[in-house]
Amino acid sequence: MNEPLVRFRHASLGYGAAPVLTDVNLEIPAQSFVGILGHNGSGKTTLLKTILGLIPCMKGHFSSRGAGLGPPRYGYVPQKERLDPIYPLNAYDVVAMGTYRKLELFPRLRGKDGRHLVERCLAACGASHLARRPFSDLSGGQKQRVLIARALTTEPEVLALDEPLAGIDITTQKALLKLLKEFKEERRLSILMVSHRVQAEKGLFTHIVFCDEGQALMGTTQGMLAHGKLSELFRTEL
Amino acid sequence: MSQLVEMLKPDFLLHHALYGSVMMGFVVPLVGVYFLLRRLVFWGVALPQVSAAGIAFALMLQGLGCTWLAGGESGEKHLAIIGSVVFTGLSILFLAYMERRGKGASEGRIGALYALAWAASILFVAANAAGETEMLGLLKGEIVAISESDFHAMLDIFGLIAVAMFLFQREFLLVSYDRDMAVTLGRRVLLWDVLLYLIVGLTISLGVMTVGPLVIFGFLVAPPMAALPWARGMTSLSVLASLCGGASTLAGFYVSYTRDLPLGPVAVCVACSLLVLSWLARAAAGRRVPV
Repeated sequence: MNEPLVRFRHASLGYGAAPVLTDVNLEIPAQSFVGILGHNGSGKTTLLKTILGLIPCMKGHFSSRGAGLGPPRYGYVPQKERLDPIYPLNAYDVVAMGTYRKLELFPRLRGKDGRHLVERCLAACGASHLARRPFSDLSGGQKQRVLIARALTTEPEVLALDEPLAGIDITTQKALLKLLKEFKEERRLSILMVSHRVQAEKGLFTHIVFCDEGQALMGTTQGMLAHGKLSELFRTEL
Repeated sequence: MSQLVEMLKPDFLLHHALYGSVMMGFVVPLVGVYFLLRRLVFWGVALPQVSAAGIAFALMLQGLGCTWLAGGESGEKHLAIIGSVVFTGLSILFLAYMERRGKGASEGRIGALYALAWAASILFVAANAAGETEMLGLLKGEIVAISESDFHAMLDIFGLIAVAMFLFQREFLLVSYDRDMAVTLGRRVLLWDVLLYLIVGLTISLGVMTVGPLVIFGFLVAPPMAALPWARGMTSLSVLASLCGGASTLAGFYVSYTRDLPLGPVAVCVACSLLVLSWLARAAAGRRVPV
């Protein structure tokens, strides 16, 4: 039997002493495209941060397993607004951060580490022409492409995206979703994507986790869309 | 001009003070870059004052009869730098811990720490009347009277700090710019943060001992701010800030020497003038100033 990528059993997730989500029971299969959905403040990002190991699981059981024995290799795409524009970094510099996994002082001193990988990932995201432009000057969609390229340079098994479509026009949203779909198929990636709404992306998700009122509910997209369950949860027609 | 040539000759009477202050000018902005980018500029006000309180405390202990702690002038200086490093280090750890908790007003904590450090410095000096002159000398910065051994120790330590800032630039950048990314990459964020804070503490302590708190604050902030509008990456920001700091101290030393003015305040004024010129040039070029 295949081990799930992520497993929660009766888990409580949150910050400090206050849980945001309680009694979470989820199993995320490998190579799935999971939409983590819910209204603002419902605990979507808390769930993603726990999976990524950024905050500890407060109570219950949590495990994650990649192709090897340990947890999977994550490529993280944070909310673009979280990155401070004061840093004088161009798009290339931002993408290169994905290669900073190890100290590797000698290749660093020779200046030959990771350059080809960074260029390949920028090209894969259609962002080669942005490489020398200041990251803070890019549009929302361009920043998102650069951040996805950065996540790819970590050579991930799982791509974890936090609100990647927020503040981006519809055309760019569709282009980014197409890109993610291609990466999932070509690189056999699992994708976890946080979103506070579900419109263009719902057709891509294999599974949906819906967070609301301290609970996280998971199902296949088909199952969640059937009988208007998701519409009922979102209180709108989908 | 002839005075500048005279200053640059190896047999110049104050060559230790000149080389030492220029070295300080090159190195302190390398650390200041992270104060600016992490938006911790106000730490730069409080920490040199805390460092001064540490020096005053160490001298007070000696004045109160704890002579077993240090003997002679050199021992006194070592004790002072230990006091400075301990006070600065503990304050940095406290501020960093509170910052990570993300609760309360950060500016309020720094303001209170600054007030406490200043008050404590005065009280420590008051409790050690015999050491008052020594303390005032240290707080104003004694670089003009720096000894041969202190000069070489200072060059060694500042040299190591400069090498570490460039060698570990990627790690310091990663944990400063995107902490969460650093965690997902499996980097030991706490370790790199602590190393950066240790370097900050050492730079401030050593700087306060040699040029005083005012100059250290000025050089932590003004050169990185002057460099920021022109930087095209972290390396260029660090190099430009460092060059700006080194040039400011060299020019400051020249003005101070020729006009018989105190070195520290002159160097800070030169660094701030470069900052204003940098921003004016940036505005004239029709480009926005980033801060």
